[in-house]
Amino acid sequence: MSGERSTARQALSNAGRQLPAGRSLGLAVGALFWCWLVVRWVAIWLGSKEPFFPATFFEGLATGFRNDGLVMQQTGGALAPVLDFVAGVWFLFSDLAGFVAFGVEYLPELAEGAWLTVVLTVTGILFGLVIAVPLSVARVYGGPVTRGLSLGYIELLRGTPLLAQLFVLYFGLNLSQYFRGFTFGVLPSAAVWVAIVGFTVNSAAYQAEYIRAALESVESGQLTAARAIGLSRTEGIRHVVLPQGLRYAIPGWTNELIYLIKYSSLAAFITVVELFESGRIIASDTFAYLNIYGMLALFYLALVLSATLFMGWVENRVAIPGLGVRDGR
Amino acid sequence: MSERTDGRGDVSEPSSTAEDGRSAGDPLLRVENLQKSYGDETVLRGIDFDLDRRDVEVIIGPSGSGKSTMLRCVNRLTEFQGGTISLDGESVMAMNENELRRRVGMVFQDINLFAHLTALENVTLGLRKVLDMSKGDAEDKAMSQLERVGLAPQAASYPAELSGGQKQRVGIARALAMDPELLLFDEPTSALDPELVGEVLEVMRDLADGGMTMLVVTHEMGFARRAASSLMFLDEGKIVERGPPEQLFDSPERDRTREFLARLTTISEEA
Amino acid sequence: MVLSSASPLVFDPIAAQALPLEWLPPDWQFVVRNWDYLAGGLGVTIVLTATSILLGFLAGFPMGAIEVYGSGPLKRLVSTVGVVLRAIPIVVILVFMFFVAPIPFPSGEFGMWLPGIGSFDIGLSAFAAATVGLGLRSAAYQAQIFRGALQSVSGGQMEAARSVGMSKLQAIRHVIMPQALRRSIPGFQNEFTIVLKDTSVAFAIGLAELLKRSYDLFVESTTAVLEVILFISILYFIMTFVTNRTLDYLGEYYAIPGGEG
Repeated sequence: MSGERSTARQALSNAGRQLPAGRSLGLAVGALFWCWLVVRWVAIWLGSKEPFFPATFFEGLATGFRNDGLVMQQTGGALAPVLDFVAGVWFLFSDLAGFVAFGVEYLPELAEGAWLTVVLTVTGILFGLVIAVPLSVARVYGGPVTRGLSLGYIELLRGTPLLAQLFVLYFGLNLSQYFRGFTFGVLPSAAVWVAIVGFTVNSAAYQAEYIRAALESVESGQLTAARAIGLSRTEGIRHVVLPQGLRYAIPGWTNELIYLIKYSSLAAFITVVELFESGRIIASDTFAYLNIYGMLALFYLALVLSATLFMGWVENRVAIPGLGVRDGR
Repeated sequence: MSERTDGRGDVSEPSSTAEDGRSAGDPLLRVENLQKSYGDETVLRGIDFDLDRRDVEVIIGPSGSGKSTMLRCVNRLTEFQGGTISLDGESVMAMNENELRRRVGMVFQDINLFAHLTALENVTLGLRKVLDMSKGDAEDKAMSQLERVGLAPQAASYPAELSGGQKQRVGIARALAMDPELLLFDEPTSALDPELVGEVLEVMRDLADGGMTMLVVTHEMGFARRAASSLMFLDEGKIVERGPPEQLFDSPERDRTREFLARLTTISEEA
Repeated sequence: MVLSSASPLVFDPIAAQALPLEWLPPDWQFVVRNWDYLAGGLGVTIVLTATSILLGFLAGFPMGAIEVYGSGPLKRLVSTVGVVLRAIPIVVILVFMFFVAPIPFPSGEFGMWLPGIGSFDIGLSAFAAATVGLGLRSAAYQAQIFRGALQSVSGGQMEAARSVGMSKLQAIRHVIMPQALRRSIPGFQNEFTIVLKDTSVAFAIGLAELLKRSYDLFVESTTAVLEVILFISILYFIMTFVTNRTLDYLGEYYAIPGGEG
């Protein structure tokens, strides 16, 4: 089935439309988020993990609201019910300020984890694509043997959990031993390499399915017409079918990108400190589960919505009138 | 009692709506100053006409002239902004819309058979769910309707297993089964291959001969000439001309009518 | 246990003990000797998949209907919740459900028995948290599947149903739904296998499902790591394969003759 992840894209591409009033606001928040993230990354490379804003300010705010609320609660008299209500609101403000204070304090660490999430996602999808194109072409146009090999690869990888695949690579094959020498720059551990291999291998199978479906949706007359003007079969596939098919595959890529952003979190279980793992480390230090997992949720939401907007933009950029403008799957 | 019960028995039984106190001279359908717009676009600009029982009105007009919209106003599949439509002397706006639609059947251009049901089930669904008939009664009645359109042998077939003409005949049987007082046809043959048009028109002609009151949007001029009691030319949301078919065909009062009919005839002759 | 020889998933542990295993490499002997333990994990995975899909269906079906036919704040709420659930990694959802959500999950264990697998225990709190997490996330996706299927039934079907006098609810119930449910089978098929595979993420909250139990085993016997993981991978593959074929068959069985879906 080619549409395995397509519902995600549909749903998320609707997100903008579903919240029309929030659209420009969302874009502004998104821009702000990415500006902050990039500046944060640069700061981390330059060696600073200090928050840009003092967390103490928000902590003070949280304590202030809490104390005021407590005072109000203890005040009796005719206004007691009203004061109780206001106190409730004040406690809410206190919690919010506490959440922000918490966020300000730990966002640098999360940003550092998010860097690896982005690296894993982008490398996974790009390297995966390099494998996926020949896989899908073999699947559609290959002979019985290449077709069977391609099908076997795709079905095996789509039929088993990604986490089990990562375990095979990391624990079973102990792949990280081969990458010990490559731990430089942005790749602080060999496990990151293993994760990249895992996501590449896995993503290739899914992307191959998307591209296969897209290739098959190009009318067969197109290849016949290409042959009729004297192109070879390979040339016809290369110059006529693929340029159309890859455009049809864009919705699939959007799904794949979203999928990888989310499932890169599984690298945590092979010791990669990406976004989820950096959050989990903070959680085990602070026990502030609600705050940290709330923050993680917001972080992933921002990444996924950004990816959706970006892919929508790409889709518009490469659109050809009357081609590739399929709604949904 | 509705006046159709005297006379020919081959028309479906009228519903139980008694003509309490209304003059027997009321037309079955009266449309007065009907106005309809979608947003800024005005589609119907004041339509007036009466349709008596047993009459067959054929409506022609260029695309976008408001023909389908007018039909949909009659059974309130679409709401209108001005004017009144009365069925048997009662404003359709005052009626329960489900009851209205039970009394006014409709046959669609794109047929719209329920894709998951057999021909027989397509006909029984309304009988069972709207009229609460038992399964056996509904099936008996549905079978007689399918026989009427000549499709009893295909009762167990699914829509996708039928030809376009057969599908549309099931569509007619589905509408007939509810014993409508008035049948609306929205270009019932224009989605069909030319060789399948005849069988549908034949069923419609039989219905007309049987005394069914019909409001038919079609460009089948043969049918209009043969079966219509009146022909209406609609353009830009207004009735340009209305009269007996032979009058409009042979000596139309308006040039626009003449031009349109001339074009229709050439096209159908070419085709 | 007698039934067991019928299916490839089925394995008779008593016979396994009696099997002469010497012909197998030692690491594979380790896998076979621990079949009982892994089979318990297999059972948990199967039960968790079933409960999650069921919860996802019960919540997702109305959510999809609301997204198509609903309006106002309810529709906005449903679609926003859907967007959020679909954007967050399942591991975050599961950890959130387990550690944060104020749901009083019962503690303790409960015993289960499945044909061919035998009896096994399920840790209640982790299982409940995993069901809620996987189920709600699946509901958000199933809602999208049903939404798409409902919207793919042409507007003419509604008009035709209304024109014989059916109410809107009757039309949805008798005409739109039966067609939409059939059309959602392919999407549902994907969703089913996604949930099946993602039960492995319940590893994160310590639920003793298939992957967690394999982890426990290979941590214990470090020479058999690859064998254990490959073995459970094969089990996962068989499960997704069987699921897909079964749902394919269901789709064909319920297909409308001659219909396009």
